[in-house]
Amino acid sequence: MDTQDQHGRTRSSSAAPAGKPRSRRPRGLRPRGLLVAAAAAALTLTGGLATPLNPAPQQADARPAQAKDDGKKTLTVAVAQSVDSLSPFVAQRLLSTSIHRLTYEYLTNYDAKDNHAVPAFATKWEPSADKLTWTYTIRSNSKWSDGKKATAEDAAWTFNKIMSKEGTATSNSNFVTNFKKVTAPSPTKLVIELKKPQSTMAALDVPIVPKHVWEKVDDISKFNNDKDFPVVGNGPFILSDFKVDQYVKLKANKNFWRGAPKFDELVFKTYKDQDAAVAALRKGEVSFVAGQPALTPAQANGLKGEPDIKVNNGPGRRFFAIATNPGARTQDGKKFGDGHPALLDKRVRQALFLSVDRKTIVDKVFQGNAVEGAGYIPPRFSDYTWKPSAEQELKYDPKRAARLLDEAGYKKKGGKRVGKDGKPLDFRILCHATDPNDKAVGKYLKEWWGDLGIGLKVNCLDDVSVPWYAGEYDLAFDGWSVNPDPDFVLGIHTCAALPEKAKESAATDNFICDKKFDELYEKQLAEYDPAKRAELVKQMQSWLYDSGYMNVIAYPNAVEAYRTDQIKSLTTMPSAAGNIYGQDGYWSWWSAVPASGKSSSDGGSSTGVIIGIAVAAVVLAGGGALIALRRRSTAEDRE
Amino acid sequence: MTAETADVPAPQEPENTREPRLPKEAKSPRALAWTRRRHSAARFWREYRTHRAGVFGLAALVLIALAALFAPLLVGSDAQSVTEAPGEAMQSPSTEFPLGTDQFGRDLLALLVWGARISLTVGLLAAFLSVAIGTVVGITAGHFRGWYATVIMRVTDWFLVMPTLVLAIALASVMDRSIWTIVLAIGVTTWPTTARLVRAQTLAVESRPYIERAQALGGGHGHIMARHVLPNVMPLVLAQTTLVISSAILTEATLAFLGLGDPTVVSWGGLLQDAREAGAVSAGDWWYLAPPGIAIAVVALAFTLCGRAVESVLNPRLGVSR
Repeated sequence: MDTQDQHGRTRSSSAAPAGKPRSRRPRGLRPRGLLVAAAAAALTLTGGLATPLNPAPQQADARPAQAKDDGKKTLTVAVAQSVDSLSPFVAQRLLSTSIHRLTYEYLTNYDAKDNHAVPAFATKWEPSADKLTWTYTIRSNSKWSDGKKATAEDAAWTFNKIMSKEGTATSNSNFVTNFKKVTAPSPTKLVIELKKPQSTMAALDVPIVPKHVWEKVDDISKFNNDKDFPVVGNGPFILSDFKVDQYVKLKANKNFWRGAPKFDELVFKTYKDQDAAVAALRKGEVSFVAGQPALTPAQANGLKGEPDIKVNNGPGRRFFAIATNPGARTQDGKKFGDGHPALLDKRVRQALFLSVDRKTIVDKVFQGNAVEGAGYIPPRFSDYTWKPSAEQELKYDPKRAARLLDEAGYKKKGGKRVGKDGKPLDFRILCHATDPNDKAVGKYLKEWWGDLGIGLKVNCLDDVSVPWYAGEYDLAFDGWSVNPDPDFVLGIHTCAALPEKAKESAATDNFICDKKFDELYEKQLAEYDPAKRAELVKQMQSWLYDSGYMNVIAYPNAVEAYRTDQIKSLTTMPSAAGNIYGQDGYWSWWSAVPASGKSSSDGGSSTGVIIGIAVAAVVLAGGGALIALRRRSTAEDRE
Repeated sequence: MTAETADVPAPQEPENTREPRLPKEAKSPRALAWTRRRHSAARFWREYRTHRAGVFGLAALVLIALAALFAPLLVGSDAQSVTEAPGEAMQSPSTEFPLGTDQFGRDLLALLVWGARISLTVGLLAAFLSVAIGTVVGITAGHFRGWYATVIMRVTDWFLVMPTLVLAIALASVMDRSIWTIVLAIGVTTWPTTARLVRAQTLAVESRPYIERAQALGGGHGHIMARHVLPNVMPLVLAQTTLVISSAILTEATLAFLGLGDPTVVSWGGLLQDAREAGAVSAGDWWYLAPPGIAIAVVALAFTLCGRAVESVLNPRLGVSR
């Protein structure tokens, strides 16, 4: 995968697909020292923000979600992720793609109830008899925020730009590889001609950008869309301001065709530390804490007792898996990286997974806020989810794991498994230093695999993307958010996703390249019958499961919380019981209704200030006294 | 810690430490030296005892060190195991778990005892490394004056003005995550104070006539530094070490708290980091946060008290009561 995301690569297909929530984050290795220092500084800073000492700046830049003096209603969302890029051609992270969902229209959207495709920029879509030509009717009542009409011409220009591959296909290439030609015969008609049938035509998660603005951009591959605010768009919100790692501000689009959002402003405010975000929620400085990473059980339990706070615990879109390095290689077969050779043996991979007790991880690490892992696609997507049969299932069975290792030639000698070359079996696992679950699961793995005689070094990095892209890992904690259409998360395991040059970033997740899997992928992409396609998708998952390359441990729930005295209601997705942040559509924020009540946070923060000042004064006085004493006592020594 | 440029008192020259009441019968020089050392150790202890705070500090240290040493006997060797955890997650203190449990259901009291091992080991090793570097730099800079001293003292100044924590974070993050990295990161960033102190003392010692005599008798650089200067700066170095240990333990805890420690070993700073990540701060689980914090404070305080007492025993000019 890509390492691209921080908590998520999200883009993808559909709506935000994937988030790899846990994915590797893009910061570079070399600058890691600096970054860590910066991170530490950020931590101290955010920590500072959360303390009572510092409420003032907070309010200055992102107003709490509530009615202010001028009557503007602001919804503030605390997010942990940073924006990778605001350009729809480049962005991959969940936060960035969620912002694109809100600021640009896509051809189709997903129904909040059951994820079926519903009209958005297109009101109607239909294939020709040979299934190779799709005609979309474009709505005529959508306007760009600068007053120009949004037409099929914009959509055609966007798709052609991505197809041109001038560095513009980073995030959406899986949709267009099959496209032959995209034209706009009239302002309300878009025609896409395909080389082969493609089943994702009603789920093209591509933000349509305004041609008249973007054609003036010199180099789209390097343009991050963060220079001129407000950014011209036609979604329910307009991107109005952005400061790296501080906030993204959106204002309501009053002319949105589906109706204007009820909040006037939507602010995504960065809190690198989840505890700081929770503290801000308690004080009413933010209205919502995004469940990515999910709130920990202790945080959720602590918030449950609070008045005016609702904890939403919905089934997640993500899977949490252990990826094993199958031997990194380029498209033309050149090998690179230093993955452990023992992992090339399927028996070793399966033995590792057989000795992982998924139930314990769900119970202990996630404390029930997750579903035990099986197939690749989370059970929330009931059409595509797959479960291994009883005999195929790799249940927790350390004895069978030991047998498999014996068969593979790794005998136990003095408590350690030793290969034929006499070297002990020791693996490294890449973990995200910022994800507590990685570290916690790492502790369990170390003990389980230790019992088996396998050594494990848990290698936690702030930015796993560098070793990941370089193929320098044995195992890695991996995870993606899955879209209603599974094409994207399956596509990242095909040979076509492999990097062209060694160590380059690429769409591949884990360097998997297998002929059978690729064939199935092609077939499902070309299959228009939903039931048959689902069957193919399940076969692919079965192959992945047996391969031992992607071992899904759990599907973590999205645990998030919001203030009911600031947000009266909002739509979850699926609407019965679902998540709020990082949905496949824009429903949650578009539908959010402000609460009329006044918040009580002001009193709280001023007492906070007083307490903070008092504490600071005591500390200073104490420190001063100490220094004075010390100076007095050494007075004679000083010259 | 001691003011850097203070001209520290005086370590006695070996000749003067001889007690007046030496045994009458003739002994080998080696035996004589040992007797002398025994006597001065006894005298040191007599004086140390008069510093009540120092005695308290020492008692606390002995207790903690014993607990750390006998951790496997006291709390069982599988206390760190997550798969064998005896309790439920985040239980508040009870008779079964006097300090409650962490998010894996492990007994926090047991983890605290195990954590003492890492925190003390890292603190001691880092302090020794730091003092060793500082002593070598200080003695050589004081001995060889000239351009060598100028260059090396400018380097020292540079390290002195660098914020230690930032430098340590930078070092810890480019190297592997292990306790050795932390030891190294603390050791190579905290030595300049010691270096300055030792250099001042070296200059004072080298200006004494007996050094000149030794040189006249043919003593080389190595001989002067190792046989005459080093023994004289040793008491100072000793006092400095005890003081550096407490700051090393604090730095170790800070680095572990910032997530730069080895995530698979239990240390006090690591416990605080685990607590923060588990959301114990916002959930108000004080039993998870307070004990490691208090333990760090107690150990740092104990070392400081001992260091102060040692310092004033060795340097009568610092006075008696503190």
